Amino acid sequence: MRDDPSVVALVTRAAGGDQDAWIELVERYAPLVYTICSRYRLSNHDIEDVGQNVWLLLVEQLGKLREPAALPGWLATTTARESLRVVSAASRSEQRGTRLDDSLQFVDDGAIDEEMLMAERNAGLRAAFAELPPRCQQLLSMLTSDPPHSYAEIHERLGIPVGSIGPQRARCLDRLRRSSSFIALGEDETRINIRGGEPDA
Amino acid sequence: MRNGWDDERLLGALREAIRERQAVPSWFIETGKNAYAWHNIDAELAQLTYDSRDDRREVAVVRSETASIRALTFTSAQLSMELEVTEDCLLGQIIPPRHGTIEAQTKTGAITTVPVDEIGCFAVDPIPASPFRLHCRTADGADVLTGWITL
Repeated sequence: MRDDPSVVALVTRAAGGDQDAWIELVERYAPLVYTICSRYRLSNHDIEDVGQNVWLLLVEQLGKLREPAALPGWLATTTARESLRVVSAASRSEQRGTRLDDSLQFVDDGAIDEEMLMAERNAGLRAAFAELPPRCQQLLSMLTSDPPHSYAEIHERLGIPVGSIGPQRARCLDRLRRSSSFIALGEDETRINIRGGEPDA
Repeated sequence: MRNGWDDERLLGALREAIRERQAVPSWFIETGKNAYAWHNIDAELAQLTYDSRDDRREVAVVRSETASIRALTFTSAQLSMELEVTEDCLLGQIIPPRHGTIEAQTKTGAITTVPVDEIGCFAVDPIPASPFRLHCRTADGADVLTGWITL
């Protein structure tokens, strides 16, 4: 379903008038924008406002982004700035100073960078998932649901013999690793490991 | 690096990625998709540079003097728009002053067009349904769009 998973290509296509590319950009990065809005504990109404402003600014900037590959960073920064504007207005008019302090701390401690890298990784994983054949998607969906389905339930729903679920799971995860979107993720994943200090097993 | 992704870790990361996407309400995604309708509109986007809602002292002064409930300034390279929302009307002035038209657009697509006079003043009455945005075109070719205004 993805002709070209790279952000640069999507930005270029969207700038050239390709609405499908825009929709894919939104699908890919809406979780990033939404997650950052949520950190500021905005109301749904304010979240919608911030989202609207961020996407409109992006529409306007599409052809002018100097480095389309840096889009996640641009989105994260823009969302944080727009959210902070809403929080500042609310906290000044309602004197909820603690809210503003919390938010400022969030901006300062580099959490946005982490948020952005996590969002990139998650978007890449979702894109990799979308490349899988339907049977793998069904199986992995059931295995990643919260709480995960039991092998007995999976057998009942998908008709896979219980003894084959383990090997099929391994095969599907292997396909995920070999998908172009997962491979494209390589560089960012390394950065997360360095930044997060998460040890490579 | 990818050797670091054993099955359990990969499944856990995938679970988190799917959960993150599911946490996003569909209306939020729709808002993003709909924004593309503004693609290729040549208007320059004006930035909000002043909002009386952010300035308590100013609100008090403006209120007592002009019965304004909100004052806003949008600034672009081509012009500025000073807006004042009163009880029943939206008043504005283009700076530097010049003839033109203002379109007030709501999210439902309703558009109200009003003239801008020679000293740059205009009035939109009644106040458009919130949120709305203003699209200003002047006689000398300036083309400026504000962000969404929520009253």
